[in-house]
Amino acid sequence: MNSCSLDVQKWRHIRDDYIAGQQYKSAVFWSDKIVSLSAGHTDDVYQQAICFYHLNEFHRAIHCIKSRQLHTTVLSCRHLVAKCHFSAKEYKEALEVLEYDYNDTKSMDITGGDREGDNKFSAKEYKEALEVLEYDYNDTKSMDITGGDREGDNKWNSGIALLKGQIYEALDNRMIAITCFKDALKYDVFCYEAFYSLTQHQMLTRNEEEAIIGSLEFENQCTKDETKFVRFLYESQLKKYDKPGDITVPNEFSNILYENVDFMTTLAERHYYNCEYQQCFRITSQVLTRDLYHTQCLPIHLSCLMELKKTNALFDLAHKLVDLYPESSLSWFAVGCYYLLINKTDAARRFLSKATTLDNVLAPAWLLYGHSFAVESEHDQAMAAYFKASHLMRGCHLPLLYIGLEYGLTDNTKLAERFFKQALEIAPNDPFVLHELGVIAYQSSNFTSAEKHFRDALNIIKNRKEITVLPDKWEPLLNNMGHVLRKLKKYEEAIDFHKQALILSPQNPSTYSALGFVYSLMTKWNESVEYFHKALGLKRDDSFSTTMLGHAIEHLVTEISIFHDSTNGTENAVKYEKQTVITDFLLSKANEEKILPNVKITGSRSKSNIINTTPQPPDTPLPDLSANDCEMDISN
Amino acid sequence: MDLDVMRKDLLECYHKSAIRGLKQSSKWSSELLLSLTKTMDEKRLHEDLSTDMNDSYTGFSMNDMIHVMTDPKYLLAKSCYDLSEYERTAFFTKDSMVSEIKFLYFYSRYLSAEKKRLDRMAETNCMATDSAIKLFTELKNELQDLYSSGEDFINDSYLLYVYAIVLLKLELNWEAMDVLSRSVRLDPLNWCSWHQLSLIIDEKSQLNSLQLPDHWFKRLFLGDVYLELQLNEDALNLYTTLQQWFTSCNYLLSQIAIAKHNLRDVDGAIDLFKQIRASDPARLDAMDIYSNLLYVKDMRTELSCLAHSANDIDPFRVETCCCIANFYSLRSQHPKAVVYFSRALQLNPRHLSAWTLMGHEYMEMKNTGAAIQAYRSAIKCNKRDYRAWYGLGQTYDILKMPAYCLYYYSVAHCLRPNDSRMMIATGETLEKLERNHDAIKCYWKAGGLALFKLALLYERLNENEKAALAYTDFISRASAADGADRQNTSSDVAHAYKFLANYHLNKGELKLAQMAAQKCITFSETRDEGKSLLKDIQKKCSQIDL
Repeated sequence: MNSCSLDVQKWRHIRDDYIAGQQYKSAVFWSDKIVSLSAGHTDDVYQQAICFYHLNEFHRAIHCIKSRQLHTTVLSCRHLVAKCHFSAKEYKEALEVLEYDYNDTKSMDITGGDREGDNKFSAKEYKEALEVLEYDYNDTKSMDITGGDREGDNKWNSGIALLKGQIYEALDNRMIAITCFKDALKYDVFCYEAFYSLTQHQMLTRNEEEAIIGSLEFENQCTKDETKFVRFLYESQLKKYDKPGDITVPNEFSNILYENVDFMTTLAERHYYNCEYQQCFRITSQVLTRDLYHTQCLPIHLSCLMELKKTNALFDLAHKLVDLYPESSLSWFAVGCYYLLINKTDAARRFLSKATTLDNVLAPAWLLYGHSFAVESEHDQAMAAYFKASHLMRGCHLPLLYIGLEYGLTDNTKLAERFFKQALEIAPNDPFVLHELGVIAYQSSNFTSAEKHFRDALNIIKNRKEITVLPDKWEPLLNNMGHVLRKLKKYEEAIDFHKQALILSPQNPSTYSALGFVYSLMTKWNESVEYFHKALGLKRDDSFSTTMLGHAIEHLVTEISIFHDSTNGTENAVKYEKQTVITDFLLSKANEEKILPNVKITGSRSKSNIINTTPQPPDTPLPDLSANDCEMDISN
Repeated sequence: MDLDVMRKDLLECYHKSAIRGLKQSSKWSSELLLSLTKTMDEKRLHEDLSTDMNDSYTGFSMNDMIHVMTDPKYLLAKSCYDLSEYERTAFFTKDSMVSEIKFLYFYSRYLSAEKKRLDRMAETNCMATDSAIKLFTELKNELQDLYSSGEDFINDSYLLYVYAIVLLKLELNWEAMDVLSRSVRLDPLNWCSWHQLSLIIDEKSQLNSLQLPDHWFKRLFLGDVYLELQLNEDALNLYTTLQQWFTSCNYLLSQIAIAKHNLRDVDGAIDLFKQIRASDPARLDAMDIYSNLLYVKDMRTELSCLAHSANDIDPFRVETCCCIANFYSLRSQHPKAVVYFSRALQLNPRHLSAWTLMGHEYMEMKNTGAAIQAYRSAIKCNKRDYRAWYGLGQTYDILKMPAYCLYYYSVAHCLRPNDSRMMIATGETLEKLERNHDAIKCYWKAGGLALFKLALLYERLNENEKAALAYTDFISRASAADGADRQNTSSDVAHAYKFLANYHLNKGELKLAQMAAQKCITFSETRDEGKSLLKDIQKKCSQIDL
């Protein structure tokens, strides 16, 4: 060292430049020399390990730190070691590193129970380091690696907590993971990753989410305006499915956020939950033109494409994603979406399970996997997948909703109701759940409570701001409302609801036949015949409408009084008798037919990635161009 | 009405339609414009154009239009539109705030959906496919959203027109009527809205419930409505008065001809159509009605000539196809007639009479299933088409489903309360249903030659007294009838005489019996029976004499 006039500082600059330029091989080479030059200075070792980490040489990095025992004393090093283990999928080892000092020294208490001591320790460490190495901390960006001040310290604590959370999540210990994520946020309100894991991985119920935002210690970490900003950004990402109200952007931010892709994504998500797929699609398309692979927007966009049945666009997008990100679960998820949309369930399942292997916590893929069975009425397998999803998404009610749905379809109303109730606990205001509860009540012939549930759902939808027109997703709700009111003999109202449904979803044969049915119960045979005719015009093989039409016409014919002559008393009596008999028949017929043909449709929406349990139409991606061949040639 | 105002209105209507690519409506207005009685020389008219156009009371200004017409975006979109590249038009017109361009956007989307629907229909031959309904529903949702929120939208008469036609595609007629009346209130010169409105009015009472602007276009609209509602006399009067402003306007003439056709004034209608064809030989509008008339009159050469010339002008027109179909039908080439009717319907699935006539053709071919479908489609287009209801009744009669049959006949009867054909048909069905009491009433009401049916029924019920009375009545009516009728009823008359002879014989009224029996001999069917009856009578006579 004496004869050499190499300035370690200069080499550090060279190394740092290479790191900044992502040329890790060069950085490793030089940092190796720096470590020798500086006789193993902590920071230099750390930097070298970082380079190894970036070169995916995880165990080399681990060894580099562990051999010097730095992970026991320096937070940043411990974090890195654990991260390397984590990246190498050695979760146990990673945890060991992180938990090591749990039992060991109080001074390294990363849960932050004793922050004073922690700070002292770090400060001491810092001073020592400074003394020994005369390292110019003010000059380098890595100055806070050992946590000189409280802020930097918290950052590492937060990072460690986050990592622990991720490890626990990977180990499927979600309760501890949640605590860890919460801790991470407590240390550092800007730790979005922890927030993201909590909310986007559906770990919390809505109330818990709100509680977390309430408990964040903004005051110490940012100014008033910043607090407002961060709080707003976080709040805009909270759960939306139960009451996707409108977000009011505070004036001071509206300029900033006007064209922000992240913010637009949350807006799109809201539209999605409101079932406004067109608007949602418009926004997501905009986002994706500006940021083609916006990872948070993609799932929403995919779901939208599914809802809108844009098979071709989905095909294209899935292809692009798989070509570019073959390692990303989202890419395979997209492929699965496509195959499910074109009704190729086998292929869909193959790709969805590939997606879940790549990312075991990709709950939407599990849900979709369930749907692929549900479409084929494979109730047991569907439920298995839903249970898996519900395990993964504690804070999401959708798996529960679907489980309930499957139970309902297998005539297990008691269990179905139980699951719907559970779902309702998580999302008390979700009209979809209320609707399903209504359907179950209907199936158990509990019509008054069915009506109540339906009305509740309807009120929630109608009370939403900005809703001028009900999205057509709600056509089943209106129709079911009609069915229930018919059962309760409120015929006029039933007709009203069916007609509303008709406006939402025109030319719907089952609505027409429901209308015909109500009219026939009101013995308005003329109208009844008209509607059954309409229904049969759209769906010729509808046996219910055919039978009913026959009855209605028979009635009409017996009642036809072409000359408006008064029929005498006895005749009246006979007619009356006949009528009641047939009415009873109608009622029993209706039960048999299970006039709630729309139940399935309600499964339509799920958490940001979504799926439709309704059977999909066959694959018709491109219009058949041969249609034009049928043009006439009159010439001959 | 002031001719200058009318001219200005028609001009404005033309330009507003033309700029939006509403071709029918611009053709209509220019046809009227051409025949508008001239009061000014051409020069003054042009002066007027440059000065007065801007401050006309509707706020119409050529300057605004020039602004749009020089907009390259509009020009590209409009050219694509003119080439039927609707999706492309929609793409270029997206997000525009100019009302004309906005209109092109929605209208081209509508047309694109409609085109897809028609293409699909040619493929599968079913009425409305799901995918088309979905497209229209999508469009409807979007428009509905704008309608219930956007100020601009609500105040644009033409955008409302698009909304209305989308609603109509989805059979939401009630909602559409509201939108259309709003549209014409906003701009009474929007002829397409008037016209569309005239097509969906079901009853005269609806006219009064609608708030319509008091504009002279309303009279043209009313003419349309009257024709639709078969208020032919009213239509005739209205159009005749309108003729004082328009000299030999082919549009008015053809409307009058249609009214006459509906009133069964066949010759008058044919004359008018001849006149129209002389002044505008290439005009195909309403020529299908003309071909119907020629068909009814059995004018083979004229019909053949009409069909050929229509085919020369444009084989891909609804009217042409109908003419050709009628031509084949008259030559009893029913399968070919069906082919051409279905071609007409591919071109315009809402062409009512083509559906009904196709039903008739299928009936001729004994294809009841297809006939039922055709008739039903006709009813879907227009619930008031009694011929389709009657046709349905006939088909179900053949299918031996008397309950259905009775229902259809009774609807037809309600639509044409004074048509004895419906009455008789209803009566026959009632008879099949063993509701003899009602059947008797029907036959009574029908009167005329239905008395024979009545008598037969009485005879079957062994109410011989009544039967005899009815037969007597029938004979007197039949002998009063002329020519063809007389021939057709001859066997019925024979039967009547036979019954009467037997009846009187049984009652011992030998003189009457003898008269009847003698009549029997004059008919070939009953000659032998008549002879034996006469022998019986003579035997009886001699017994009494003895």
